[in-house]
Amino acid sequence: MTPNGAALFALIVVIGAVAASSLAGLAILAGLLAAMAAFEVRERAHRALLRAVMVVLPLAAFMALVWVGIVGRSAAEIAAGTPGTRQAAALYVGFICLRLLLVVLAIQLVVLRFDRLTPLQFVCALRLPIMAKRLLVLTLSLIETLRHAIDRARTALVAAGLVTRRPSLRNVTTGWVLVQTVWLTAVTIVVGRMRDKWPAEQTLALLDDTLDAGEPLPLSTDDRIWLPVALSATLVVLGAG
Amino acid sequence: MARRELIAGPNFSGRSAALRARLDAARQPSFFIGPYAEAALSGLSSTVTDEIAIYRATGTPVRRTAFTPLDFAGCGARKPQTLSGGEQVLLALHCFSQSAFGAIAIDTALEQLDAAHRNAALDFVNRSDERGCDVALIDNRLTRPPHDWSVTTLAAETPAFACDPAGFVANVEPRRARSLTIRGLDFRYPNGADVFRGVELTLEPGQAYRLFGANGAGKTTLLKLLVGVLAPSRGTLLLDGVDYAPWRHGNAAFALATQNPDHQWCGATLREDIARRRAGLGRRREIVFPSDQRLTEGANKLGITAFDQHLYELPLAARKRLSWLWPLSGVMPWLMFDEPTIGQDGETRAQLAAALTQLGGLGHGVVFVTHDDDFACRVPHRVLSIADQGITAGRGG
Repeated sequence: MTPNGAALFALIVVIGAVAASSLAGLAILAGLLAAMAAFEVRERAHRALLRAVMVVLPLAAFMALVWVGIVGRSAAEIAAGTPGTRQAAALYVGFICLRLLLVVLAIQLVVLRFDRLTPLQFVCALRLPIMAKRLLVLTLSLIETLRHAIDRARTALVAAGLVTRRPSLRNVTTGWVLVQTVWLTAVTIVVGRMRDKWPAEQTLALLDDTLDAGEPLPLSTDDRIWLPVALSATLVVLGAG
Repeated sequence: MARRELIAGPNFSGRSAALRARLDAARQPSFFIGPYAEAALSGLSSTVTDEIAIYRATGTPVRRTAFTPLDFAGCGARKPQTLSGGEQVLLALHCFSQSAFGAIAIDTALEQLDAAHRNAALDFVNRSDERGCDVALIDNRLTRPPHDWSVTTLAAETPAFACDPAGFVANVEPRRARSLTIRGLDFRYPNGADVFRGVELTLEPGQAYRLFGANGAGKTTLLKLLVGVLAPSRGTLLLDGVDYAPWRHGNAAFALATQNPDHQWCGATLREDIARRRAGLGRRREIVFPSDQRLTEGANKLGITAFDQHLYELPLAARKRLSWLWPLSGVMPWLMFDEPTIGQDGETRAQLAAALTQLGGLGHGVVFVTHDDDFACRVPHRVLSIADQGITAGRGG
């Protein structure tokens, strides 16, 4: 697969997962992703699944608490004004989480498929307008900045004895200080960069030159197999809905 | 002939503003390396390889030879912000050497480099003349620039942030810190190489230690292990022979002034920062928290009088001085300073050296990291050399 083929493949699967309205539809997409994982990502596929589960699990726990534990009815039952059951609420939560799991899994599989490329090389290889590529790079940059800010804020607060390195009751009571410090740090990092570095160098113009260099690869034979398969599967899912 | 200029003067004499004015007046974009990472690296890349790719000239031919003091290809997959402060500066210089920029401005960044890398970097910018490249440099340790450089010396018109760390320390109560023993310490970052392997070390209080090693050797990592930000993969710490695990139970023994002062604030203002530290450490019986009056006096001695001013509104050099408040107040038995002299003029460095010497005499344990030999010579100390995943205690300096 090429980066463009993989990105299109993921986009089609995400559209299918969002549009799917039955478990059968989601099962078809899960099968498609399993096939892609087996052929393209191979032994590293379990890492993609693990990451997707780690992302979805907290949301699943929260949704289960709210919908099954507190509300006790599914969304459809609320809309219809019927009494409803916790079982229906659990099914509803399961369906939403499965849909999200497939979305995250599709993205993770593409990330792992091209883990030998750096993020910038991957974005450069995409057939997109410069503005869209620049937005992608800035989004990734913001994510890295936030991660860096978390590390910096945590260093400050652990050294000051406000939070502990390991999970603790103290961290629960002072967690808000960490959140506040992270945001303050992130803002100052970005401001420092935009005030001093970028205007002097016109760094964003340099980035545009880098993103514009080289021709994106045409779709490969693999892409020409995977994309029709993904499109067909999604059409079946939409038809089943 | 290209213009090469050293902008000299004390802190708060307007050197950084003068540097920026030169950048604004330049007819073309200039490469800029600021004092800390957010103004040294582009912030647009997730890996070292990407950082270099952004700056590598695509169209215009580059006339300069590459400045490659480290194996950047070997650490191409690393995130730039996981490099040490000095390594980030070296990466920035490497990026400049690959770029088509016709001018470079460096604001005190070279002060973070170890002696070998600093000499190589100064040699590299000095040879910019051969390539028709303009250079503007601020560096507190460069008292005598090469003969054909122009020097602009600025003077502070009004005294600002007047600093007297030795005067602050004069009122610190004597105490006897417990001796620190490190036994069989191993550490490695996730997916990284070993930083420490089987480190054995004993540090006695009432003494200053200079942590010494090349950029990226693990100096800051050791300080982070001691305050509990990182946990060793093996090994123990002992205070007077009693197990001490700050990564498990929290830090109660080491006050740290970080290399980048902005890595240590716990609040948006000094008042908030102090209040939160008090809340965090006040519950520990072994810590005698100074009174608000004492801390106010200390901040004043470090040049800060506005407790409710946003910390980031202070100039960087003033924030750096304020970062010493915590360890200089003697609230904790062991005091650690990571590159405390970066961005500080000669007078302030001399005063800080006097303060560290006094603290050692009061019974505290003092550990400082610096590449500034002149500063280190002013503080009676023993050298702790970090190299090849080990730490060796050397003779006094």
